Amino acid sequence: MKYCLVHLGCQMNQSDAERIRTVLEGMGYERTEIEEEANLLGIVACSVRQKAIDKVYSRIHRWNTWKKKRDLLTFVSGCILPADREKFLTRFDLLFTINELPGLPDMIRQYGVVSAASVNGPASAHPAEPLIPEESKSDTARGYWHITPNYSSGFEAFVPIQNGCDKFCTFCAVPYTRGREVSRPSQEIFAEVRRLVENGYRSITLLGQNVNSYGLDRRSDEITFAQLLRGVGEIGNESGREFWVYFTSPHPHDMTDEVLEVIAAYPCLANQIHLPIQSGDDKVLIRMNRNYRMDGYRRVVQSIRRILPEATLFTDIIVGFTGETEEQFERTRQAMDEFRYNMAYIAAYSPRPGATSSRWADDVSQDEKKRRLHVLSEQLQKDSHALNTALVGKTVRVLVDGKDRKEGFLSGKTEGKLIVRFRSDDTSLIGQFVNVKLTHAATLSLTGELAAAQAVAAETNAQVAS
Amino acid sequence: MSQSTTVPRLQALRHAVHHVRPLAEGAFVLRLEKNGLEFEPGQYINVGPAGEVDMREYSVYSTPGDDYLEILVKEVEGGYVSSRLAACRPGDEVNVDGPFGFFVIEEEARHGKPLQFIATGTGISPFHSFARAYPELSYRVLHGTRYLSEQYETEAFDQERYLSCVTREEGGAFHGRVTDHLRQHPVDPESLCYLCGNCDMIYEAFDILKSQGVPPEHLFAEVYF
Repeated sequence: MKYCLVHLGCQMNQSDAERIRTVLEGMGYERTEIEEEANLLGIVACSVRQKAIDKVYSRIHRWNTWKKKRDLLTFVSGCILPADREKFLTRFDLLFTINELPGLPDMIRQYGVVSAASVNGPASAHPAEPLIPEESKSDTARGYWHITPNYSSGFEAFVPIQNGCDKFCTFCAVPYTRGREVSRPSQEIFAEVRRLVENGYRSITLLGQNVNSYGLDRRSDEITFAQLLRGVGEIGNESGREFWVYFTSPHPHDMTDEVLEVIAAYPCLANQIHLPIQSGDDKVLIRMNRNYRMDGYRRVVQSIRRILPEATLFTDIIVGFTGETEEQFERTRQAMDEFRYNMAYIAAYSPRPGATSSRWADDVSQDEKKRRLHVLSEQLQKDSHALNTALVGKTVRVLVDGKDRKEGFLSGKTEGKLIVRFRSDDTSLIGQFVNVKLTHAATLSLTGELAAAQAVAAETNAQVAS
Repeated sequence: MSQSTTVPRLQALRHAVHHVRPLAEGAFVLRLEKNGLEFEPGQYINVGPAGEVDMREYSVYSTPGDDYLEILVKEVEGGYVSSRLAACRPGDEVNVDGPFGFFVIEEEARHGKPLQFIATGTGISPFHSFARAYPELSYRVLHGTRYLSEQYETEAFDQERYLSCVTREEGGAFHGRVTDHLRQHPVDPESLCYLCGNCDMIYEAFDILKSQGVPPEHLFAEVYF
């Protein structure tokens, strides 16, 4: 029997999908990307925008028409708003939150499906370990993290460290779809990171909605985010291997100098900080319920520049948030000018169903939002080009992650997640570190020439084999 | 930055209604069983009809030491949740999720630091909790209402520290809006200022206080939308 799993949205949903795949393949289901040939069809839903929610309704409508012709089981998980949950229950055969994943085999069996293999049988993707450990069934908040993910990549991995959010930014519905912040036990995180490093993974991203509030939900019996990073840094030092660890997303409210000092102390903790600003205006930040002011944000950036002078700085910005005046937008533009981001994910505001701000007038016109988006995009391109130009002539370490769109070129990222392309058709370099001498700066990317590639590849291969 | 030390529960729970205490102008206090909910003064909870998905945010009106939970509600015309809560009877149940929020007073600020509380309407709710939970606070509260009757249960405050700003009738300590009072009576720039109420008041007060030398980092806001 075959399954097809569609995941929409963010890295957290991708990470959840990797665990769902483990469970399904452990039951004997074979993966297919062709919906028409699957007996089990699932979707990891996203509620960030109405468009994403519409995709779920469109898919299930199509799948339910197929049910008239053949046996088919459907399920939905992921970020689901309470109002949609009620409707999905009538359209899908199964609906579960990601914490309920350990119970998925039982749910499927209730539909009379006899799997090709038992849950812990030979078809398991990780036969050396029980697929669904007993403790994962008893711990309803954290149990699903015991399930070993079926990683999408052989060299880049996402490691969830928490689920849910307690910040209640007014533009966001995550607290209503994923619930309260729950921190994953640190020992489990260390074990997963250690296993990935031993298996030769080069890039590991610690995931959470507010990673730097890690542990605050279990103050008396869990370590802090800085301590968690230190533990990961120690794994890096002990391994002697080369890899980079990232985290996303932190909240400026919880960012401390201690976190930055730990990053500075360990080579495997990457010099790249994603610090969402959202707006450069204090009043808009109040309306967004962001719990910091520009003075506080500025101090965090100053700390980053002081403690991690080589770090690249990324951010998220929303333009045209409800009630945003031209003057308030101008402050955001000034903030971009001041902080000179290497990368900014800029979005025109659109009400997210279920979020508090969806109850307010979306009163900045679409044309004006587009204009503001364009202004900031141009600013970003100017800053990015200038920052990249300053790197030309240097030789940097690059993790090759695939073929470039340009024929005959490979593409990868620096430790600071800057995109670098270089001429090579040696696809064996994908997943390896190489040295690249930068020769040309473009907007949001760099071009270079491969340097000492064979030596680097040989060294990294030897590390994997040892 | 203020940092709450409480941890929200993992899911909404049902709380029995003890009673609805009518105040004035469609406002009322909803008293609920506490049901083990731990919170800090200033935090809010989400409350809605039992078994339904609709919930709204309400600052907690009672204190952590009380053996019940109270919220101050103004019935909004056409507002689904507030009208359902207004119709509650003793023994009914409501959904309660939380606590949430960072509108709290840090330990060191509770001892001698000048605190300026500024509220409009039911935005007085978190200050009611502050004043009763922390009798040692060195605070002044400005409460803006349209009518005298909207000054709910002011006995919770030290009367020498409570100043009412009333816009639509005489009889308050100040005739006009809280922002008018702020302009005429600048606050001590060393104060920590806590603002709770509608967004327009908070925006206006924010500018006034900044112009009076209060740094933005000393301005804490809880917006009622």
